[in-house]
Amino acid sequence: MSAPFFKFGLFGAEFSLVMAFAIGIGFGFFLERAGFGSARKLTAQFYFKDLAVFKVMFTAIVTALLGLFYLSWAGVVDLSLVYFGPTWLLPQIAGGLMLGVGFVIGGYCPGTSMVALATGKVDAVFFVLGVTAGIFVFGEAYPAIQGLVNATPMGEITLPQLFGLRYGVVVFLVVLMALAGFWGAGAWERRLARRAGEV
Amino acid sequence: MRYFSQLSLPGKLALFAFALGLVAVFGDPYGGGAVTLHPQELAVLVQKEVDHVSVERLADWIIQKKSDYRLIDLRDAGSYATYHIPGAENVQLTGLTDAALARNEKIVLYSDGGIHSAQAWFLLKAKGYDAAYILRGGLDDWKDQVLYPVLAANATPVETAAFQRKKEVSAFFGGTPRLGSAPGVTAAAAPLPEPALPKVQAPAAPTASAAAPKKKKEGC
Amino acid sequence: MASVLPSAVLDAAAVPIPRVAARREAAPYLNPYLAGVGLGLVLLAAFVIMGRGLGASGAFSTFISWAVASVAPAHAKGNEFYQGYLQSGGSHPLKDWLIFELLGVLVGGFVSGVLAGRVRKTVEKGPRISTRSRLLLAFSGGTLMGFGAKLARGCTSGQALSGGALLSVGSWAFMLMVFAGGYGAAWFVRRQWQ
Repeated sequence: MSAPFFKFGLFGAEFSLVMAFAIGIGFGFFLERAGFGSARKLTAQFYFKDLAVFKVMFTAIVTALLGLFYLSWAGVVDLSLVYFGPTWLLPQIAGGLMLGVGFVIGGYCPGTSMVALATGKVDAVFFVLGVTAGIFVFGEAYPAIQGLVNATPMGEITLPQLFGLRYGVVVFLVVLMALAGFWGAGAWERRLARRAGEV
Repeated sequence: MRYFSQLSLPGKLALFAFALGLVAVFGDPYGGGAVTLHPQELAVLVQKEVDHVSVERLADWIIQKKSDYRLIDLRDAGSYATYHIPGAENVQLTGLTDAALARNEKIVLYSDGGIHSAQAWFLLKAKGYDAAYILRGGLDDWKDQVLYPVLAANATPVETAAFQRKKEVSAFFGGTPRLGSAPGVTAAAAPLPEPALPKVQAPAAPTASAAAPKKKKEGC
Repeated sequence: MASVLPSAVLDAAAVPIPRVAARREAAPYLNPYLAGVGLGLVLLAAFVIMGRGLGASGAFSTFISWAVASVAPAHAKGNEFYQGYLQSGGSHPLKDWLIFELLGVLVGGFVSGVLAGRVRKTVEKGPRISTRSRLLLAFSGGTLMGFGAKLARGCTSGQALSGGALLSVGSWAFMLMVFAGGYGAAWFVRRQWQ
């Protein structure tokens, strides 16, 4: 086991910042390649006009999921050393809802807003200012809403643990679900194109 | 085969993902309960004795308040309660695989002698812990060299000078240095009285998180 | 007056970036599946190299916590939320992994945009809404996003992508709700986009 490299001391904190920058470049590059620097493309998902958000997101998840699984199985990556965030079910559900609403109103998410900024979108500037304001409000309100924020802690729990299934089985189910979703998305978009052709 | 080549790139990727997902059903990301041994590799390590830590070195680490290692006491709970090396955590051999030991931290194992610690070393090595170490001589050596160092009656001036340091180390751990009898008289023939073990007032074993108390969480 | 000025001058005044990037026909977007694989590999690289996933909102939090601590240090000290982002183990709080990562996102996005001819100063909006309204809504949406992201301990990059790949229960619940919220609110702001 030699990975994650940083956790095994291959390089120090200073170089990890260089890595952060490099990884960020890759992140931003592919986000823009997919067209996620455009709020219209991003929000088209929620009007069933363009399902790229779903396709990109779940392809990325499946790629990383399979990659991690196999690298861990092969004994290259020590999965127990990869940071795994704990679950707080209620606040994450509430936060997800808020984020979804904010997504379709604002047009971006924090990561894509950076890509939009980099490609000249003026509305992204206002979005970023909004995110800053929202986090500031949260910070100021934190002492008062601490109870809600830390409600329903479930610890570091995985889907396999929750359903009592083997890890590999859940991986397969996720892949199946994603592939089914992609097939459905393709069928839907073909139907849209046919309707547009008829009109 | 022709169908495959007619697929678009995403189509090929989808098929590939499906295959990988299917095979994953039979796998285990954490390596499961099985262990892998590389006998020749291990043999070389054992011969080179690279994974040994002497009691003197451990004593120095403790005195210098180093926190980059974890000390594991493999004996039963009763013996641990009577006396344990300061900073040691009590983990039984059977609980070793379940214990929260990380593969990126130094783990020093000790038992009374060296047998259990050596066997535990093998276990950990097989599970992919590259930074496992054995305390050479175990608690027996700790008592002989650190807690109750002996200065032979006919010691040379050099040895006497070196013994001064040993006395200080011994005092640090609450032990008592002893002056030995004449050479030729083995310990078995004229056993020195077994001094009382020092009371361990050391605080609880250092937890892994204590190593970096002020580091930020890694979340987003 | 505008028509008197040669178009070249107008162009140069309005678009403060390399003319090459804006003039060219914008290239079509990359196939979403291929882009997804690329993104997934970047995420995998983060796991393998750093032992952590990607993120975005955390960088904002760190910056805001630092700003509050700089302006009102006593106030920041008493607030557990800000304190959480100021524990930097001795180094400057802004020398943060996510901040450097987001700087990289800016660069990567710009490079891809330049290569594709997609860098131009615009306001992304539908045809039925004014620029002013759009900018206001962008700010409002961002505020909701920021607050929600902190409640959920992450945004789509951190929670959905990274937590999703790790099969975290909270992350998948979060992801589901993001889509639910988006679809739920879409009808109400349809004028902004369609």
